[in-house]
Amino acid sequence: MFVKERMATGLVTVGPEMKILEARQLMIEKNIRHLPVVDDAGQLLGLVSDRDMRDAMPSRLLEPQDYKNSLEKIGNNTVSDIMTVDLLRIFPYYTIQDTLLLMQKKKVGAFPVVNDEGTLQGIMSTRDLLKAFVNVLNIDEPGSLLCIVVENKPGQMKKIVDVITEENISLGSVLVARYWEKGKRAVFPYLLTNNVITVKKRLQGLGFEMIDPMQWYIDQLPS
Amino acid sequence: MNRTGLVYDERFLLHDTGLYHPECADRIRVIYKHLVETGIIEKLVVIGAEKANQRWIEQVHNIHYIMKFEESCMYGLTEFDHPDNAICRDTYETAFLAVGGVLKAVDRIMDGTIDNAFCAVRPPGHHAELDKPMGFCYFNNVAIAARYVQQEYGIERVAVIDFDVHHGNGTQHTFDSDPSVLYYSIHEHPSFAYPGTGREFETGTGKGKGFTVNSPVLPGRGDNDYCKLLTQDLVPAMKKFNPEFILISAGFDAHETDLMSGTMLTADGYDFISNLMMNLANRFTDGKVVSVLEGGYNLEVLPVLVENHIRTLAGLRR
Ligand SMILES: [Zn+2]
Repeated sequence: MFVKERMATGLVTVGPEMKILEARQLMIEKNIRHLPVVDDAGQLLGLVSDRDMRDAMPSRLLEPQDYKNSLEKIGNNTVSDIMTVDLLRIFPYYTIQDTLLLMQKKKVGAFPVVNDEGTLQGIMSTRDLLKAFVNVLNIDEPGSLLCIVVENKPGQMKKIVDVITEENISLGSVLVARYWEKGKRAVFPYLLTNNVITVKKRLQGLGFEMIDPMQWYIDQLPS
Repeated sequence: MNRTGLVYDERFLLHDTGLYHPECADRIRVIYKHLVETGIIEKLVVIGAEKANQRWIEQVHNIHYIMKFEESCMYGLTEFDHPDNAICRDTYETAFLAVGGVLKAVDRIMDGTIDNAFCAVRPPGHHAELDKPMGFCYFNNVAIAARYVQQEYGIERVAVIDFDVHHGNGTQHTFDSDPSVLYYSIHEHPSFAYPGTGREFETGTGKGKGFTVNSPVLPGRGDNDYCKLLTQDLVPAMKKFNPEFILISAGFDAHETDLMSGTMLTADGYDFISNLMMNLANRFTDGKVVSVLEGGYNLEVLPVLVENHIRTLAGLRR
């Protein structure tokens, strides 16, 4: 899964000379949270986030007249005065896993996506990323979640996947919790079916322990 | 004692789902056999099915979907849209009979022949959407019956109570924005169970806001949670709604031995539910209630749970 397929494209962009009040209007009208600022050649200069914009605006707590006066004072400023220029850019060939990790580590809400020439290609925001992960996990399709505890030794996953495959069930996704209890990991296959009887029976027959989520929940409670 | 109807028809067996499918003809075969062996059948008014008029099915399902369903069966395909939904050449007709059977039970209640009814029909219905088969369901028997009750008999407020262990997504979506149908479902929590809908905060949309109520039950939980949730969620909703007719999506797959789910309801828990259903019907709808089979896949337990449920409907508790 690459950023190229998952980023938001068809972006509204503005030039650096646009007045901030005009840009603000644009962001409100088009419901834009990250407004890219580009030069005539499409090179990315910076990004105005809704937060950058809010920081630049006078306080709503001001008296109406004071608010109006303050607005007038900043009326001549341009987006280049408030945009974030120190940006982390990512490339279309990054995976969504990369992006997830970067977002968590760098604590940013959106990355501009540029090509090797630095031309803006799209934006990858937390929203786009969430959508991408919901999609690859197939969790918006109807299905059932299995919770299986397995010993921490090779070949366990294969056994599980084999049973699912032999039962002709499509596998939406599998999540693995590597540290469950000592020597054990937990596997969570999401099966795109209502029909889990045989698969459960066969897994239990192979000696796998199905987690009862309620027991797990009780274990988490303070004693 | 009540005059209780039993909708059963041998033609419900014709929907052949193949060798290994849990929603198999044996489900209602064993139910019927058990009702005969225990002699309860003598106390019931057995009602055969008739094909439903398609115009009622069109109240809930899109015409293109109905045609696609017919075509898939006619071509001799073995699944419809998804491997869960096994079909054969007779499935289309059988689905019409299942709907028709439920509508006939409504007719018999409205003409005073019976007080209430249990419909041992298949295929089941509560997952079936406007234009999509899901989870072994093709036509939404109960949703269609709700529309039928309203339009054929001018009854305004219909309550649909769904105690199948899976959330009845199809029924919920049919009546999402409709304040004239209260949809209540108690089911295994959508984080774990098919189809992944039916959270507490799904309460209806638009004019129907507040007319959908969902009580998810965590896996591993059983009778206590069911009693508590039904008492705290269903009863007040029914009081507020004051229904004139009750339809039940009766699923017996929440039982502790049913591998289709992780909930641990016992026969006692099911008795509690059945009793509550009858009490609600007596209080609000003059006893008018049609209970329709949805899931239930443990062939040893299913007939006993159905027997108990029917005994309660008929006022024949041992
Ligand atoms: Zn079910």
